[in-house]
Amino acid sequence: MRNLLNFLLKYNHWFLFILLEVISFVLLFRFNNYQGSVFFTSSNALVGGVYELAGQVTGYFHLKETNEDLMQENVSLRLQTEALREALREYTNDTTAIERIRQVALQEYDMYKAKVINNSLIYSDNYLTINKGREDGIREDMGVISGNGLVGIVYQASDHYSVVIPVLNSKSNISCKVKRSEYFGFLSWDGISSEYAIVRDMPRHSVISLGDTIVTSGHSAVFPTGVPVGIVEDISDSNDGLSYRVKVKLFTDYARLKDVCVIEKKGRHEQEELENRARE
Amino acid sequence: MINLINRLKWFVGLVLLQVLILNKMHINGCVIPFLYIYFILKFHSRASRNELVLWGFFLGLVVDMFCNTPGMNAASLTCLAFFRTSLLRLVTLRDVDDDFEPGIRALGVPAFLKYILLSSALFCTIFLCIDTFSFFHWNVLWIKILASTLATMLCVFCAEIVGGEKL
Repeated sequence: MRNLLNFLLKYNHWFLFILLEVISFVLLFRFNNYQGSVFFTSSNALVGGVYELAGQVTGYFHLKETNEDLMQENVSLRLQTEALREALREYTNDTTAIERIRQVALQEYDMYKAKVINNSLIYSDNYLTINKGREDGIREDMGVISGNGLVGIVYQASDHYSVVIPVLNSKSNISCKVKRSEYFGFLSWDGISSEYAIVRDMPRHSVISLGDTIVTSGHSAVFPTGVPVGIVEDISDSNDGLSYRVKVKLFTDYARLKDVCVIEKKGRHEQEELENRARE
Repeated sequence: MINLINRLKWFVGLVLLQVLILNKMHINGCVIPFLYIYFILKFHSRASRNELVLWGFFLGLVVDMFCNTPGMNAASLTCLAFFRTSLLRLVTLRDVDDDFEPGIRALGVPAFLKYILLSSALFCTIFLCIDTFSFFHWNVLWIKILASTLATMLCVFCAEIVGGEKL
């Protein structure tokens, strides 16, 4: 017994070391599988607060670029609206039609504006933190988009902050399609560059060419149809040779993402419930 | 007591520097300078392994909370903290019982460089190997380890020159 005690005392640093390593790995694997660990992420109040403060300071340095982006987007949207208005006027003589279409397009979705307060690009599993949480109406699995296009999906929400899984994460898997031909596949990331993502499982017979635009398919109830994702940069065969692997240059520049919009489809839960019941 | 307060100041300072500035520097998307390991490297040579390992674990955990990588920094830094004493013995010819603070003044430039090279390489290898569990690209992993080790060394060396005497 004494020998055992002596042994334990002599090598106590080894036991402490092994214990702490075990705790670390439990945290690591638990976070990968389980969405409950809000305390250990940047959606906890203290960490979120520090990032928000830092974001307010650095936000000023990016105002110029943000303004330029917004102006560019404004101009292109205005031109687009004008063109559509013209086209609509040609086809119908109904002056209230535009307003009706706008209302129909937006009434299906709840939208919440938010600011990105923390963002990483260098890991294999990157996350964004935004400054809106449960009290602002944000829930897990809501879609996140920016002015340029798709951003990601809300992973965890605390009272005032939320963590978002962007496309640049090994867990990200979003249903997408080719805008021109409607063939669809799944958008994921290969862990190499923050500017590119991969669309997998694109059928062999799909009509697709370089320069095509990829948009969300709208099958998942998280995103509406047609949120821009990126442009086809390269097409190759998948490893098993049964489908295409499409390399996409993303529209969203994650390195300077500031303003985002969290969206939720009304009646999403009903659709999910129905789908789950059908699976059982 | 003053020592502890001083240490906590460095703790907070290094965490903020790491998460607010260094983690945002993406040079080619593969270089991360892990300056905060400097906190563990500067412990006195006779600091017990238990003390080092506990500080390492909590420092890693706090950085993890900011980076949304629960366990990754904690596991790597705990490991570095555990082997720190052995690394220090490896590079110095001093008597084991001698109590000194590892730095350029105590070790001299060549031994200090060797010390931070071994420590950075150990930390970056563990950290990036855990990180790469999701995607296996061997070439990218090697480049990341090499580049991050060099960047970490450079940052630690600069920190030592600028403010190392005060810790």
